Amino acid sequence: MRRAYFKFSWIAAALVAPQLLIIFVFFYWPSAQALYWAFTLEQPWGGGNTWVGFDNFRNALSDPYYWSSVRVSVIYALATTVLAMTMALTLAIFADRQLAGYKAYRVAIIWPYAVAAPAVGLAFQFVFNPGAGIFSYINTIAPGWWDLSKYPWQAVTAIVIAGAWKQVAYSFIFFLAALQSIPRSLTEAAAMDGARPLRRMLDLQLPLLTPTFFFLLVINITDSFTDSFGIVDTLTGGGPFRATDLMVYKIYTDGFRGLDYSGAAAQSIILMLLVMALTFVQFRYVERRVHYT
Amino acid sequence: MTQKLATAALVLAATAGSASAEKIKFEYWYGLTGDLGAVVAETCNRFNASQDQFEAVCVGQDGYEKAVQNTIAAFRAGKHPTLLQSFDAGTADLMLSGEFYPVTQLMADTGVTIDWADYFPGIANYYSSTSGEFFSMPWNSSTPVYYFNKDHFAKAGITEAPVTWEGMEAAFKALKASGQACSLAYAPSSWIDLEQFSMVHNIPVASNNNGYDGLDTELLYNTTLHVQHMENIQRWINEGYAMLRTQAAGKTSRDSFVEGECSVFFSSIADHNTIHKLKPAFGWDVQIIPTYEGVERHNTVVGGASLWVLSGKTDEEYKAAANYLAFLATKEEQQFLLENTGYIPVTKSTYDALLAEGFYAREPFINRDIAMKSLTWTEPTELTRGIRLGSMIQIRSEWTAEVEAALAGQKTMKEALDIAVSRGNEHLARFARTYAGKSFP
Amino acid sequence: MIERTPILNIATHAILVFGLILILVPIWLAFVGATLTLQEVNSAPIELWPGDQLWPNLKEAWVLSDFGQKFVNTLIVATGVVIGKITLACITAFALVFFNFRGRMLIFWMIFITLMLPLEVRIVPTYAVAANALTPFQTIMDWTGISWLINTVSGIEVSLEWNLLNSYTGLILPLVATATGTFLYRQFFLTIPDELVEAARMDGAGPLRFLWDVLIPLSKTNVAALATIMFVYAWNQYLWPLLVVTDRANYGLVVVQLSDLVPDQLTTGGGTPTWHLAMAATLVVMLPPIAIVILMQRWFVRGLINTDK
Repeated sequence: MRRAYFKFSWIAAALVAPQLLIIFVFFYWPSAQALYWAFTLEQPWGGGNTWVGFDNFRNALSDPYYWSSVRVSVIYALATTVLAMTMALTLAIFADRQLAGYKAYRVAIIWPYAVAAPAVGLAFQFVFNPGAGIFSYINTIAPGWWDLSKYPWQAVTAIVIAGAWKQVAYSFIFFLAALQSIPRSLTEAAAMDGARPLRRMLDLQLPLLTPTFFFLLVINITDSFTDSFGIVDTLTGGGPFRATDLMVYKIYTDGFRGLDYSGAAAQSIILMLLVMALTFVQFRYVERRVHYT
Repeated sequence: MTQKLATAALVLAATAGSASAEKIKFEYWYGLTGDLGAVVAETCNRFNASQDQFEAVCVGQDGYEKAVQNTIAAFRAGKHPTLLQSFDAGTADLMLSGEFYPVTQLMADTGVTIDWADYFPGIANYYSSTSGEFFSMPWNSSTPVYYFNKDHFAKAGITEAPVTWEGMEAAFKALKASGQACSLAYAPSSWIDLEQFSMVHNIPVASNNNGYDGLDTELLYNTTLHVQHMENIQRWINEGYAMLRTQAAGKTSRDSFVEGECSVFFSSIADHNTIHKLKPAFGWDVQIIPTYEGVERHNTVVGGASLWVLSGKTDEEYKAAANYLAFLATKEEQQFLLENTGYIPVTKSTYDALLAEGFYAREPFINRDIAMKSLTWTEPTELTRGIRLGSMIQIRSEWTAEVEAALAGQKTMKEALDIAVSRGNEHLARFARTYAGKSFP
Repeated sequence: MIERTPILNIATHAILVFGLILILVPIWLAFVGATLTLQEVNSAPIELWPGDQLWPNLKEAWVLSDFGQKFVNTLIVATGVVIGKITLACITAFALVFFNFRGRMLIFWMIFITLMLPLEVRIVPTYAVAANALTPFQTIMDWTGISWLINTVSGIEVSLEWNLLNSYTGLILPLVATATGTFLYRQFFLTIPDELVEAARMDGAGPLRFLWDVLIPLSKTNVAALATIMFVYAWNQYLWPLLVVTDRANYGLVVVQLSDLVPDQLTTGGGTPTWHLAMAATLVVMLPPIAIVILMQRWFVRGLINTDK
């Protein structure tokens, strides 16, 4: 990180302590227990466990369906992030122009984020349902073409769209806030230098947006790995035949539903390591290009 | 069946001492949601209003799996409820942990009288040990039936709803001939197509008498009549008699039936109430699920959930819970449940009383008791007591995923079932390892 | 804006409207669903135009779910989370960016990792902590022998308990434990020009004064964005409140009740699919977050702050 200015003092410790305390009690302590289960065979109701070392990991990693789960999770993460951030950035840049009615646009585009997860899945069922949803109109033209019970790629498309939907709103808020904090004097100066809007966007706005862009990139990718359970559950249930069985969904069905705490814990560790690796790569290689000042 | 609540009250009065207004409370976590959850909440209100010694504090948990999961979390922290409504697939772990209070013993210990012999054997056996001791209390019980469109059947000249699969196939052909595009709305359901199918044909789902006799169980359903049945279903879909009707495919089998698109669909009798509410624009009725010719028909088993009493609570809470359970078992409270849902009575005396009153002769309950016939067709055998397998959820989802793949043309049905069995066996082996040295009570 | 070229304006409007339609379609469908009867909402094909049952459905959903007190509760919890999150994120990121000490990257990573393990996975042990938030300290004291020491020296048995179940604290604290805010503030603080910091130091300002007088005013838009996001996030919680609150009448939250209106997929049939009530409840539950979003718009203004020198 950048060169810091103040020497370490008790003030710094006092400032960091509260958050550290909270995450210790409410995250690290419980997670340590949950992750310990990955090395045992845990009985859900208590009553004992058997130490099995890395068996649970071996089980997961040697299961071909686990690898297809990893693959579809990565595809999902990349697709939703690219889709959501592109749309959000475009909308933010245009909303930033502050034309008539821009306030209404701002509110309306953020709206999806306010909708609770159970309702999102429900609403998208209405959209994607092959027989009765909006997409069913495709089937009137080409009967049987849109069928979520047959074509895995369609089911993946559906969850990508549903997943990106909320992320657009989220990313839009932050892009817009960042754009709005670019001082007017800068844009005016650029305009006076003769720069057209497109050039201004490329040379001025985008570079200044990079810190926010980096933030959103990391958050979007992380969330699409860890927060996507609800969408899969209501839209596809992991199907058809496991085609949309995201890693986090598998963890949920194995652990939460199927009461296989150990298997779920092992899968969680693998998920965490994957996300950490991806994040590390982003910090190492993408953050270089971020213009902080 | 006689519930001697008076006896319980007497015992309590003797032991509790003060007749203060302080009610003894106990917590009950249930999984039903929506209108069914409202019925559960109402039974608690009715219980609380019917006496002034105990109070049931009932908390809905937004679904069976969340109810079980939340109870486990609370149990590990010592803050669990006294009573838990758990669905069938969620009970193997609880049973093996031993952290429950068998209701037969509970009633005996708290002095509450229940006539255990009054319960239908098909229901009793599912919830009890081999010695006849009830582990949990049956409450919302159902069994599968099939629903058929009477108008379509009449048009096709079918006079009696078939009770054999051969008869079903003939009906499909007749329906098609009469212009019906879809005879059967099919939705893969492990509960109906695998488990209940095996019960009614008296064939095993798994070794060790479906898991009752030990933990070293293996699945057997890829070697039984079940394979042929699933291949038939695939053939009927390919030949145009049946259509895959699930949420993903466009509409559920129930919606397809209610709209009049398909003539037949399979579901639990509990949907009988729902379909009445959805008011289909045609005449419809229910029939017991078919068997294949040449096989002697046996009983089906219950689905739904039962009420478990958990360990680690005080004597007072146990007394309160026992009284609540006894309350639920009275004829009046069973009738309340039956009037507001599609469930069926669990005790013979209640059923007989309702029959005598003409309950099942008036709308919307007409013919709902055909489910009772299915449940009591024969005395349960070793294979038709029920299924006691660990990792039941995973086993079911392996079956569903593979069957879906087969129906989508990705593999043959036999391959699919073989894969489902082998993966299911891996789950069972892990389960056995997790509970090494233990066996079902 | 600077130029007003008509073509660009039209293009802007077109793009925004198109994006808007795409985004609002699901919400429109939810609205339509809330206006239908039980039969209509379950029939195919889907209705695109509203029916006339909006008011009866809203009333029924409201009464069934007993929303009144729950709205107040959720408001309290969401506000608590916002205040807690913003405060914590701000001071933590400030310490990590502006103070020089070894291990600050490590601490940042330790905070960041909390984003990578979903709550569902750790919900069982987290509940145990909520049942007694002092368990970690109790266990540490037991393991290190401190409890034994205190016991033998003073005869007092150390038994710490702080039960967070069925309380606002239990609902708020675990939600405050995530890293999004800290990461956001880190990004923002990293953009503060060196000159600004130097100027403050030359004025003799200590770190806290710098934070209060310079950084916080500058971070208005960030605060607005973060507050909006956090409020909505806390408002829409359903998994954790479901577990931690059994006293629904006093501490229940709204979205938990929303989930209760949706029939459970795992029952072997029997639940009436009351989608129309679920959608009506969704509309009601959506209102406060939307109101907050509208409220926060005031802060999303173009900064007149000049950070050039």
